[in-house]
Amino acid sequence: MVSLARKNLFHDRIRFAITLAGVAFAVTLVLVQVGLFLGLLGKATVTIENSSADIWIVAKNTPNVDFGNPFPETVFLRARGVPGVERADNAIVQFVNIQLPSGATENALVYGLSDPAFWNLPWKVEAGRAEDLSRGYNLMMDRSASLRFGAFDVGDYREVGGRRFRIIGRSAEAESFTTTPIVFMDFGNAQSLLDQLRGNTTYVLVKVAPGFDPAEVAARLRPMFPFNNVHTRDEWAAASRGYWIESTGLGMSMGVTVFLGILVGVVIVAQTLYTSAVEHIREFGTVKAIGGSNWDIYKILGEQALIAAVLGFLLGAGASYAVRPAMASLHLTVLLTPQFSGIVFVGTVAMCLAAALFSFRRVALIDPALVFRG
Amino acid sequence: MDSNENNKPQEKAEGDSLARSDRGSGGLSRGSNTIAAPRPKVLEARVVRKTFEEGSQRVEVLRGVSLDVTAGEIVSLEGPSGSGKTTLLSIMGCILTPSAGEIHIGGQAISGNEQALRDARRKSIGFVFQQFNLFPALTARENIIYALGIKGHKGSKALVEADRVLDAVGLTDRKNFLPRDLSGGQKQRVAIARALAGSPDVILADEPTANLDSAVGVQILDLFRDLAKSENKGLIIVTHDPKVRRVADRVAGIADGLILPEPAAHAA
Repeated sequence: MVSLARKNLFHDRIRFAITLAGVAFAVTLVLVQVGLFLGLLGKATVTIENSSADIWIVAKNTPNVDFGNPFPETVFLRARGVPGVERADNAIVQFVNIQLPSGATENALVYGLSDPAFWNLPWKVEAGRAEDLSRGYNLMMDRSASLRFGAFDVGDYREVGGRRFRIIGRSAEAESFTTTPIVFMDFGNAQSLLDQLRGNTTYVLVKVAPGFDPAEVAARLRPMFPFNNVHTRDEWAAASRGYWIESTGLGMSMGVTVFLGILVGVVIVAQTLYTSAVEHIREFGTVKAIGGSNWDIYKILGEQALIAAVLGFLLGAGASYAVRPAMASLHLTVLLTPQFSGIVFVGTVAMCLAAALFSFRRVALIDPALVFRG
Repeated sequence: MDSNENNKPQEKAEGDSLARSDRGSGGLSRGSNTIAAPRPKVLEARVVRKTFEEGSQRVEVLRGVSLDVTAGEIVSLEGPSGSGKTTLLSIMGCILTPSAGEIHIGGQAISGNEQALRDARRKSIGFVFQQFNLFPALTARENIIYALGIKGHKGSKALVEADRVLDAVGLTDRKNFLPRDLSGGQKQRVAIARALAGSPDVILADEPTANLDSAVGVQILDLFRDLAKSENKGLIIVTHDPKVRRVADRVAGIADGLILPEPAAHAA
């Protein structure tokens, strides 16, 4: 059957272009803004997701991975005796001052580990070897640090916590939520940087033995450490994300952005479809006069909304994927996954169909007798 | 005016109408003395009334009108503006609901508020409008295919039927033209082809020559006559155009919501 919906849509090219622009704008707004949000949230948990630790033992009520609080370093010894624990080690995550060549002082987020290679922190090494961190006052700096700390090379020296460290390597992808550069070093060296860390640690990383369920092992650990919280990897990542979403208002901000994007899309699509419906009212009257029902006209408007949704989404998604390299050059990660894109596509279709509903009411009232009026 | 007075002229009108209808249905065709089998009534309005409410006022547009058309017959429905002829056409075409009375299509009665039945029966009627009412974004052929789709004819059969009716109206070489690229007469031919598509028993035409120049109007009327006879369609033409009488088998006059007696109809 001939598609009157498609023919009418393409017949009025300017209006159709405006409709597509509206849908594409809404899609781009939602994809880029939420993609940026997800990219930021990804940074909030990037070390949790990439480390080989299945369970994190943290000080009571520690809100997220960046804000480690000290507790006795002997906890890990007790954890090692629990059935199902293959290995447990101390780890320090702490903000420490770093002196820059310019004389300025900045904050660095120090990750101190006794066996960085085993815990896969850092997980992507561009220069140097993680095993060398324990051989003296050495550190490995993430390449993203150049943005805040200026250019650096392997072999350079930096003063961290009043102590002179040699840069023996460069990691990648280790960016924190707060944009504070991450610096990896040996656990002992990190512990010596601050008085409050002496005899203390901020985390115990636990690797679960093969065949054991991390959730079950975590349940065994919890009663043993009443002054700590024991999280599985997923629980700890969710808690860290939740902290930033709730405490910073980012969640609300993103919600408003998504709402505005949807509102813009609905308004533009509804307005153009409604105008189109009013202008084609005589045609719809003819459809009714020759035997069509309201449902036949709803199908026309629905098909137009669907076409606008699909093409508008493709344009918007294309634009969103296209801006990613430009955003990356500004150190902004737009995280677009097929799953997220699929959700936005379904949302776009729902948005356009909802917009078409405004026109449904108008065409339902069409009197087919209007076709006899001159 | 009381209802009895109201009905008096109509009773006479109905008598005339029925008499003429019997004559038409009795098979006395023009220029022939042969008595053929009675032709079936394809569409019939029986004592139809229609009242519109405008604010607090009630306007009775039709006051008990009866009219019928048989297969192959052309009826010219004539009357001044506001006489109720388009309202009658809308009711006979199942577009409007009568306030009282019945419509019979192919012998099946449709009365009251049977909207679904009227919607379904509307598919078995062809319409031709004064303003053509073609879909501007569709070609001539697509206009017909779309209308066929609405009537439930799809696929290759619809394509064949569209080509058949376009050929019948002499527009095969213009089938892929958009309405904007067709002349007024060609547009009306497409509208006639669309009305013919799906082989409805009856076609209702509202002022089909009003927007055409005189010569083209004559061509369209000749086309109506040829198609009504060759395809055995009942055809009611609402018109002010006296040229329609050239092709009409019967003239029905309407004034003030009542069908006029035959002499008055011819004078209308």
